[in-house]
Order: sequence, then structure tokens, then C-alpha cells
Amino acid sequence: MLLQLKNIFKWVNSGGQRIFLLKDINLTVEEGEFISVMGPSGSGKSTLLNVIGMLDNFDEGEYHFLDESVHTLKEKHRANLYKEYIGFVFQSYHLLDDLTVYENLEMPLLYKKYRSSERKAMVADMLDRFNMVGKKDLFPAQLSGGQQQLVGVARALIAGPKLILADEPTGNLNSQQSEEIMQLFKTLNQEDGVTIIQVTHSEMNAAYGSRIINLLDGRKIGD
Amino acid sequence: MFKNHLKIAWRSLRKQPFLSVLNTLGLAIGIAGTLLICLYIYDELTYDRMFADAERIHRINVDMKFGGPDKQVSQVSGPMAAAVLQDIPQVEQTLRFRPWGTASLSRADSKELVLENNTAFADSTLIDMLGLKVLYGNPKDALSGPNKLLLTKSAAEKHFNLSDAVGQEVVFNESQTYTVSGVIEDLPKNSFLSTYSVFMSMLSHQDQNVNWGNHNYNTFIKLKPNTDPEDIAAPLQGMVEKYLIPYAQEFFPGITLEQFEASGNYVRYSTIPLVDIHLHSNREADMSQNSDYKDIYILSFIALFLILLASINFMNLSTAYSLKRSKEVGIRKTLGSNKMTLVRQFLTESGLMTFGSMVIGIALVIVVLPYFNDLANKSIAFPYLNPVFWGILLLSVLILGLFSGSYPAFFMSRFVPIRVLKGTGENTVGGSKLRSTLVVFQFVVSVFLIIGTLVVSQQLQFIQNKDLGYEKDQVLLVNNVNRLGSELPAFKERVKSLAQVGNASLSGFLPTPSYRTDSSYFLEGKMNQESAINMQGWQVDFDYINTLGLKMQAGRTFDPSITTDSSAVIINESALAVMQMEPEEALGKRIFNGIGEEGFSHFTIVGVVKNFHFESMRNQIRPLALHIGNSSGLMAIKLKSGNFEGAIAQIQTLWDATAPGIAFDYEFMDDSFDRVYQNERRLGTIFIIFTSLSIFIACLGLFGLAAFNAQKRIKEIGVRKVLGASVSQITYRLSFDFLKLVFIAILAAVPIGWIAMDRWLQDFTYRIDIGWTVFVLAALLASGIAILTVSYQSIKAAVMNPVKSLRTE
Repeated sequence: MLLQLKNIFKWVNSGGQRIFLLKDINLTVEEGEFISVMGPSGSGKSTLLNVIGMLDNFDEGEYHFLDESVHTLKEKHRANLYKEYIGFVFQSYHLLDDLTVYENLEMPLLYKKYRSSERKAMVADMLDRFNMVGKKDLFPAQLSGGQQQLVGVARALIAGPKLILADEPTGNLNSQQSEEIMQLFKTLNQEDGVTIIQVTHSEMNAAYGSRIINLLDGRKIGD
Repeated sequence: MFKNHLKIAWRSLRKQPFLSVLNTLGLAIGIAGTLLICLYIYDELTYDRMFADAERIHRINVDMKFGGPDKQVSQVSGPMAAAVLQDIPQVEQTLRFRPWGTASLSRADSKELVLENNTAFADSTLIDMLGLKVLYGNPKDALSGPNKLLLTKSAAEKHFNLSDAVGQEVVFNESQTYTVSGVIEDLPKNSFLSTYSVFMSMLSHQDQNVNWGNHNYNTFIKLKPNTDPEDIAAPLQGMVEKYLIPYAQEFFPGITLEQFEASGNYVRYSTIPLVDIHLHSNREADMSQNSDYKDIYILSFIALFLILLASINFMNLSTAYSLKRSKEVGIRKTLGSNKMTLVRQFLTESGLMTFGSMVIGIALVIVVLPYFNDLANKSIAFPYLNPVFWGILLLSVLILGLFSGSYPAFFMSRFVPIRVLKGTGENTVGGSKLRSTLVVFQFVVSVFLIIGTLVVSQQLQFIQNKDLGYEKDQVLLVNNVNRLGSELPAFKERVKSLAQVGNASLSGFLPTPSYRTDSSYFLEGKMNQESAINMQGWQVDFDYINTLGLKMQAGRTFDPSITTDSSAVIINESALAVMQMEPEEALGKRIFNGIGEEGFSHFTIVGVVKNFHFESMRNQIRPLALHIGNSSGLMAIKLKSGNFEGAIAQIQTLWDATAPGIAFDYEFMDDSFDRVYQNERRLGTIFIIFTSLSIFIACLGLFGLAAFNAQKRIKEIGVRKVLGASVSQITYRLSFDFLKLVFIAILAAVPIGWIAMDRWLQDFTYRIDIGWTVFVLAALLASGIAILTVSYQSIKAAVMNPVKSLRTE
């Protein structure tokens, strides 16, 4: 078991009313799974992903990640936990515009205090694997959307996370680019055993995964 | 990591050139201005410290009252030096100066005269006590005997090859012959001797009045090491009873110290450390033009304001523009950066920018320094090779960078990733309240400085235009006319007969800086020291009152046809007030000129002249007595309107015919007048410059914020325009928020400015009232500048095509 959510509630108070963003979510994710979270706009997909990624808090319930009880951890430990084990991929890539492809890839390693020689080797390895060696000195603005997302995925992978969280990773891409990214996810999942949770609107993308979770108004209505 | 920080910092600076330029420029100007002021203040604070054992050297001052107003004098009587050396064991050495003003020098073998502005008789201890560097000649020998004279390098160069100068003969004021016994290095500009170039041996000084009653010698003493100046206060004051009273008994037989003091008169001796003279001595007969320590405070405040304004600018702009970086913060945090790493990264950025600003600031200072020196009448050198200076500068800049950078750094590192990553992040940047407060603060300072500038310049204007009681315009002052000797009266008549000349008068005593002497007068029938009236006693000629356009209050002017007028006197209104008499009452009364070797001479009051300003307007007009006499150092010539150059040329022709070979040296009286207020004017100019700088910096900040604000509200503007808002409505809407802040600042600054400037004005006996116009003008100026600054950005945003701004969403 990689992570387990038990009776997770998350709400905001608005005009004296409590509006539930997540309502009694129970979810167990095993290592090696490839999960797609689906649902209409406002159903809580992204919120769930953020909770799993520990970027957002929840109000009630238990969250176990590996051997840790996330809900009892202090902010700082929680941050350390996600930095160690989780990689994020965003819909709008969120590459740093001021940095080259190479430097974008290198950044997570800097924060994890890898030595210079290690960083070089790891970045070179990743560039190789994604066939981007020729583009390493380009800036994000010089790349197509698909290429940018490729860098985004590579950046999420570079520090060797156990889990990749992807929030509509193909939302800004055309169909051909989408397919490439999804294919990549599938390969990563099957060949490298990386656990992936993605949020998506598209049935087609969801089909790449091994499991689909449906949300509506913060509730899980299908698994 | 640090290298990475530097790299990112450099790229993000380049990516936002507008912000970077505003920020760097503001800081650079702030640093340059502050640095200049600091150099200036340092120069002022280090006056006279270059002299040997400067901290052990003190000057003896005297405060005295002997009828009339009290006086603070920087000179004491001639015998004082010898007396303290003999009587006070803590005194190690003494040095007296008797300043002699402008004098001419010529080589014994040449007729060519060179004028030296400041000469002085000095004791032989001069070189040893001050540790002056003697370039040529034997230091021990320099002023050791009569007819020896010491020249500075630049004075000597005018006559001789430096190496041959020693031993040469020079003629002083075309009368006395001296032998050059030494050449010294030019005196440092930041010393009390800076304007002096010639020192004559005191042994050659023929002073008829070396007694305890005349205070004519600037007297310095060097105390033995570890002596507390307090310890010599009592024995110094003891000189009054020991020497001064016995001297006074020659004139007032039997007078005792108790009687003397019981009548309200006093003589009080004190000392002032040499190094304090420049900023703390504001006494009669100071040897150099001193500054006021209050000006140093004012300048320090301005410097502090400048750097604070620049720093606030930096914070304001950085936080405002941080929304552009919020995404970056979010990404970095999800990629594993912690808060401190981000803080360090942003601090690196602000550090880099501050460092850049410092480099630009230093360059600015180096470029501007010569002009600044000119303006401030200084010779400040940029301390390229002073490690302490660089150390302090780097440290200050480091602190400045940390101070200015820390708020933005902590502000930005607090961004929560999911919030900034989700939307466009535009509404996530808070801190606008703090930014508003800072803008208000900046404008409070600016408005305050504007008020200060206005008040200072109004006061200067007031001095310039005030009815002085005499006419200084179109008056030519010719120096050294006594050189004409017996030809002088004839020369004067010839000048008077020129068509362009209205009148001419011979006198060394003028309302502008010139000779002054005061002595004690006694009203007939009140010939005791309790009733002494201390007055300026000026010797003038019959044309004096007409030439200077003095107005009579009562009685008549001097009349050459009345033979008894040689003993007539005209007093001013202040003198009348001291005598406690009505004008008519005073006419015909006789007054006696007190203590002098020649005994009592008497004068009859024939007129009362209206008060005229013959001292700085900081001071009250003192009692004055004018009587006929020879004191022909200067000739004042009133010119008629028209061709001044022609008139001057004609006068010079007459001069050259009368006195071939003697230099014709003149100046206009208003120039001479202006010198009295040199310090005020200099301060005024410095004020204006740095006020403009601070306003400029504040406007840079406002400009940046306005740009940011317009950008932030670009969608709102687009929507409003689509819904039919006009350009002017939108401009108003965007500008109003800022103008509100400026108005708040004006409200806050007015009372502060009023109180502060009222205190400044208290130093002037004759001063303006601060009217409401000053505040209205300051308010208009500040808001005008603010409107200009803000509206550019607002209009730019308002005229933009809404389709463009809405599409980007």
C-alpha cells in the first residue's frame, strides 16, 4: 500500500453554510497503480489531487502515506514527505521561464542537495531518455506545448518519486501531443513501476490507466 | 546553490527591465545622494583634526558685557597668552594670531604687488604647536625674530622659485620689509587657517594697545597630556581679578571686581577645543567662516530620508511586482524548495541589485563631486584608497540590501503554492495596505522637504529684499585706498566729479563686512563704569550718509561747513534705546569715548540715524556711533544708473594716474553683502538639490506602482471600457487612489514642516512668518508632480484597446 485516505472531509464556510469540497472520501492506492480521477468541473478532482499531494489540507479524516500518518504531521514534515516521494505535473506545465530545459530539470536536484557531478549525470540521463539532448539549452518559450509538458514530466521524474500527480496534464495539448504524453505515462507505469494519479476530463486518456475514480460534488461515486 | 541564485537573479532582473531600472536607479540616486552628504558631513566633522595633538589644543574665548549688549568674542587681550603660560601649570604652549586681513606683498626688487587675502601676525610657536610641514627653511627659525615671515607654498610661488624663497626680502603693504624665513605646505582646506597664506612674526607687530582692555588676539593654548580643560576654567577666570581689574583701576580708581559685577557687567573667559571651533564657534572675530552644527543635523536627516526613501521604493516595487513571480514561487515550492532557500534566493537578487546601485551611485558621486565641491565650497576628494571608507560603504550597502530585500523576500516566500499555481494568481498578492503606508511616508518626507526648501528660500529672499536701511546697489567698493597716501582726498574729489558717479565716501567701516571696533561711551554726567554704553564707533567722512543712502530719524547729518562737526556724533536708534532717551532728548547731549590711551574725548550728538543692518540678520542691530575721522581703508562710490563698466574704467584711469603700479582692486557692495549669507545660501541650494532628489525618488516609486496598478486592473479597465467608460473616467479612477495617498501625506507633513521650520527661523532675529501660502504651494507642488507621474500610466492603460486586454484572459 502506497497511500490510504480514510473518511476525508474538506469544506469551506460561505455565508453561514458549509460547502463540502470533499465528502467522506475513502481511497487506497497500491504501488504501481495508474489511476484516473474523473468528474465534471467543480466535483473536487483537483482538490483531491492537492490533498494527496499534501499541497492542501483537509478538515477531517485520516491520511496514511507509506508508514506516516500525514494528518498528524507538522507542515514541515509533510513538505519533506512530498518533496521526497511525489512529483507534480501541471496542466500549464509551470516550467520556470527564466531557466533553460537543462536548468529546469536540474532544479529539483538542487533543492535535494545532490552534488554537482550527480546532478549532471542525472539530468543527462533524463535528457537522453526523453530525447531532448538537442534542446537542453532552449528556454520553455522556444518549445511547443507538447515538448514543454515533456520537460514537465521529466522534471517530475528526475528525483525518482514513488508517485506522480498529474492535474490534467494534456489539457493544453492537441490530440497528438496528448497521446504521446499518455503513452509516456503508460510506459513509466508499466516499465518503471511508477505510481500515477491523473485528473482528466477525457475518457480516452482515462483508458490508459488501470483504474478510474469518479467524483461528483466532492463524493466518490464510482471506482 | 549560490551560483544558481546569482544566475536566476541576473535573469529575472533582465526579464523585467522596467522594474529593474526603476529600482536600481532609485537606489543608485539614493546611495549617491547619501554618500555625498556623508562625505560632506565627514569633512565638516574632521575640521582641524590634522594638526598635531589637535585634541589638546584649545582657544580662549571671552564673553563680556560692558554697557550695551553682551558680546561673544573669539579673541582675548594680548597679554593673556603669556599670563596663562606663567600662571596655569597645565598649559604647555601658547599661540596667538592677530589677523591682518588683505595685504599686498612685493619682492624687494620689484614694484609688482600681489594681494594676499588673509594675513596674520603669529607667534613663533606656530609651526611647532600645529605641527605644520615646513618645505623650505628651518622650522625652529621660522618666526623666531622680528621681520621674519612665513609663506605658504602657493603664496611663495607667486614671487620666487620655491627653493630660493627662503632668505629673500619681501615688502609688506609697501611699507615693512620682511625676510622669508620659511615656506610651508598650503594649509588644509578643512582647517581654520585654510584661507591664510602669509604669517608675519608677532615680534614685528606694532600694537599700541597691548593691554588687558583690548581683545584682539586669537589665542590658542596646548594643554599638557591628560589635562581636563575643566581644570583650567577657574584659574582662567581668575585672570579677571588678577590682571583685568588692576588695569581697569587706571581709569576707574578703586574699582573692585564686586563693584564691576554688581553693575551688571562681566568678563567671562572660557575655552573651546580646536576641533570644535568649526561647528560650535559662532563668535566675533573668528578666523574662518564656520558652520553651524545644526546644519549638520539637518543634512544628516536629509541623508537618512534619502536612503530611506530609496529603500522604501525598493520594497514597494519589489512586492508589487512579486505577483509576476508568484508562479515561480509556487513551482519551486512543489519542486522541493523550502522557505529559507527562497528567502536566500530573493535576497541574492536584491543584494545584486543593491550592489549594482552602489556601483552606479559611486560613479555618480565621482562625476558630480567636482560640481558639488564648487557649490559647497569644499575640496572633498573621493577616498579611493581609504580601506575604512570602503569597508563602511560595503557594510552599509550590505545592510541596505538586506533591509530593503528582506521584506519582499519574506513576503514572496510565504506564497502558498496551490493558490498561486491555480489561477492567474492576480488576486493573491496582498500587502497593498503596507505599500500604501509606505507611499504615504515617502510623500510626507517629500512634502516636508518641499516646505523646508520654500521656507529657506523665502527667508533668503527676505534677507535679500529687506529694507536694509542703506542702499547696497550700484555701490562700488575700492580696496586699499590708503595706499594713495596724501593723494587720497584729491582722488576722491576727482572721482566725485565724474558724471557717472553720484557720490563717494572714504571709510573703512561699512555695513558689509569690513572694519569693526567697539568701545565704551559715557553720557555726560554719568561717567562711571555702571553707566558705560558699549557701541560700535565708526570713523566716517562727510559724504558717508549720503553715499550709502542712510536715513535720518532726527537731527541732521554731518556738515563740512560747521567746524565743530569734527566732534559731532550721529548715533543709531539702537544706541538711543540703550540710552533710554527720545530722539529729541538726545540731540545736543555730549558723550565721552571711554578707555583709550589718549584719555577722554567727547562728542556732541547732532543726529539719530535710522537703524540699518550692518551685521547678519541672525543678530540684532547693535548700538552704533558715527563720527568724523580718518579710517580710509575703503572707498565707497555710488554710481548712477547706466554704463557701469564705463564708469569703472574711468575710475581706474584716475587711479592709475594717481598711483601707478598699485593694483586697482574693487568689488560691488552687493557681492560683499552676499558673502554674509553665503552659508545660508549654500544650505538653501543643498536643500533644493536633495529635496529634488528625494522627490524624484518618491516619484520613481509612484511611477512603478502606478504601472503595476494599471496592469493589475487591466481586465477591469477593459470591461469598463466595453461598458462605455470614457478615457478620462478611467484615468481619474486609476489616479485617484494614489492622489488620496498624497493628500493624506500632505495633511501629515504640514504640521511637522511648520514646527520644524519655525524652529529653524528662530535663529534669525529678522525673519519671515511662515504663511499658509507655503503649505498650499507645497501641497500643489507635491500633488502636481504626483498627478503627472501617475496619470501617464493611467492614461496609457485607459487608451488601450479593450479587446486586447480581454483577450489575454
